[in-house]
Amino acid sequence: MPLIEARGLTKKFRQAVKEPGLVGSLKHFFTRQYKDKLAVDHIDLSVEAGESVAYLGPNGAGKSTTIKMLTGILVPTSGSLVVDGLVPYERRQQNARKIGVVFGQRTQLWWDIPVVESFNLARDMYEIPPRRYKENLGQFTEMLGLAEFMNIPAGKISLGQRMRADLCMALLHDPKLLYLDEPTIGLDIAVKDRIRKFIRSRVEERGTTVMLTTHDLGDIEDICKRIVIIDNGKIIHDGDLAKLKDTYARDRVIHFQLARPPESIEPICAELPACELATDGLRLSVRFDRFVFAAGEIAAAVMSHVEVVDFRIDEPEVEALIRKVYLGQLSLDSPSQPAPAVVEA
Amino acid sequence: MAADVAAGTRSAAAARLVAARRLVYLYFRCLGQQMKAIMAYEANFIVLMFSAVLVQLAGLAFIWAIFQRIPDVNGWTFWQVVMMSALIFVTEGVGSLFFEGTWRLSYLVYTGQFDQMLVRPISPIVQVLAGAVGFNGLGNIVTGFVLIGIAMANVPVQWTPGRVLMLVILLVSAATIRVAINLASAASTFWIRSPWSMVPMFVHQLGDFAKYPITIYSVAVQALIVVAVPFAFVSFFPTAFVFGVEAWSLAGLLTPLVAIYAVVMAVWIFRVGLNRYESSGH
Ligand SMILES: Nc1ncnc2c1ncn2[C@@H]1O[C@H](COP(=O)(O)OP(=O)(O)O)[C@@H](O)[C@H]1O
Ligand SMILES: [Mg+2]
Repeated sequence: MPLIEARGLTKKFRQAVKEPGLVGSLKHFFTRQYKDKLAVDHIDLSVEAGESVAYLGPNGAGKSTTIKMLTGILVPTSGSLVVDGLVPYERRQQNARKIGVVFGQRTQLWWDIPVVESFNLARDMYEIPPRRYKENLGQFTEMLGLAEFMNIPAGKISLGQRMRADLCMALLHDPKLLYLDEPTIGLDIAVKDRIRKFIRSRVEERGTTVMLTTHDLGDIEDICKRIVIIDNGKIIHDGDLAKLKDTYARDRVIHFQLARPPESIEPICAELPACELATDGLRLSVRFDRFVFAAGEIAAAVMSHVEVVDFRIDEPEVEALIRKVYLGQLSLDSPSQPAPAVVEA
Repeated sequence: MAADVAAGTRSAAAARLVAARRLVYLYFRCLGQQMKAIMAYEANFIVLMFSAVLVQLAGLAFIWAIFQRIPDVNGWTFWQVVMMSALIFVTEGVGSLFFEGTWRLSYLVYTGQFDQMLVRPISPIVQVLAGAVGFNGLGNIVTGFVLIGIAMANVPVQWTPGRVLMLVILLVSAATIRVAINLASAASTFWIRSPWSMVPMFVHQLGDFAKYPITIYSVAVQALIVVAVPFAFVSFFPTAFVFGVEAWSLAGLLTPLVAIYAVVMAVWIFRVGLNRYESSGH
């Protein structure tokens, strides 16, 4: 039995049809026009205990709405949803004991009181046994570096500090399931790193199941093995990261540093059909389909014509890849190579 | 077997008691946090408090002026009417001092900050009620109690222990009704989505009707404040009961039942509304 099991999960919002400005507002007041927005459109999703899932998609794709249904905040318009044996929106309080939630744009901390008092309040709300609480708080404080602002009100700490404190608070009661909605948005690299390390340690030590929405692909490579992509309310990809790379990141580029400018690259082109070659002074780069050529073959072909000083291979860029998926430039249902894990296309 | 069942119900009852105690504890815990916050940042609550008191006293002066011209209103004396006003003040004060959070609900719902209350293991209603402290309520409570004392001293009624006990029960019921009405009207925000919904304020204003004997109103207004929004049970009927006004005092006995009715309705309205909650799109 998966920990999260959603079938045909759908959320429709009624949005006011309103032109901007006061006139628009007045007009809307009299016409009362609304249109339905299918924010999440019949998605199927099952997540096993211990999995960590990255939930990606362009802005407005329906990520937050999905998370809000999974956490019990929103009641789905249709479809079925069971999380660890409960229907979240029917049993909100029971569900709340088992989950930790962090929304990047909001805070769970009490704005006007010292951070540590928010933690103490969480202890009382979740009835965390004193020893467990002390242990967790000690460990998290150390890992997330919370000590320096523990006694400052949440309203007066920086965004990065707030995020770390929020993360700590979301995990004090040892939830089985952690939902993170854009947890690293707007943070600098050092803080991002710290947060990722921390989340990874939860996954590895406690077997916490993580569901994470993000725009930041670093989050994915550090934390998640599985990627689910949603676009326009529909899931367009569900599979592991390695497979996504294998399936779609077919192009690789090798950059060569040459001893002398090449007289002509024609002979190399002839030897490497369907590859893209580019030269610029002493540099030569070859873009190739790694299912047609091995990197070694490319290197051998180039070296048989010119003298190579140095070379390097570009790894496939997940970022570019996912962007292509968003833009619909990659048709996910008809790749010629290994079968993709596609749910809907 | 029978013993088992008895033990079972006893432990179920015990569990419920523990749960209720936990709720009350957490309620005051949350409220305490708010209080600390206000103490730390807000010094102008004294101004708020005094302005509230002044507004109320101005209302009383108006009543006093009327009674200078006529000896009674529909058979009600000055001090009886003062008692009705005082009950409105006290309950309003209790509502803001301890349950000010209801006034913030529409803002939380509109901005989506209400999300947080749905992912914590405590009833969102308790969280809403404990969401804010309105120190200005203190002024209303003090004024109200002073007026109740003066009114009690000025009406020809024997203050037996039984009657005093009844007064306490009626006060608690009246405050409960007031808070339930506040909660229910605040829940309207689940239907009318706007950051500063006027409905709670409008309903609040209906309470002003109950500062005077309801016999002066048309049947429609009476029905409104007796049945639909039972402010009459906050002030009019309890006053009639403790001052022994026979025509109405029996209805005063219903006040605790009306309090239960008001709470059940408020919770029901809140729950239905909750399922309409849509968060916000960012
Ligand atoms: N509370 C709401 N009311 C109306 N429309 C909403 C609401 N929440 C989200 N939406 C709409 O639903 C779509 C999906 O939003 P969201 O789930 O927040 O996207 P994401 O998190 O992927 O950026 C968007 O078009 C958004 O405008
Ligand atoms: Mg979002």
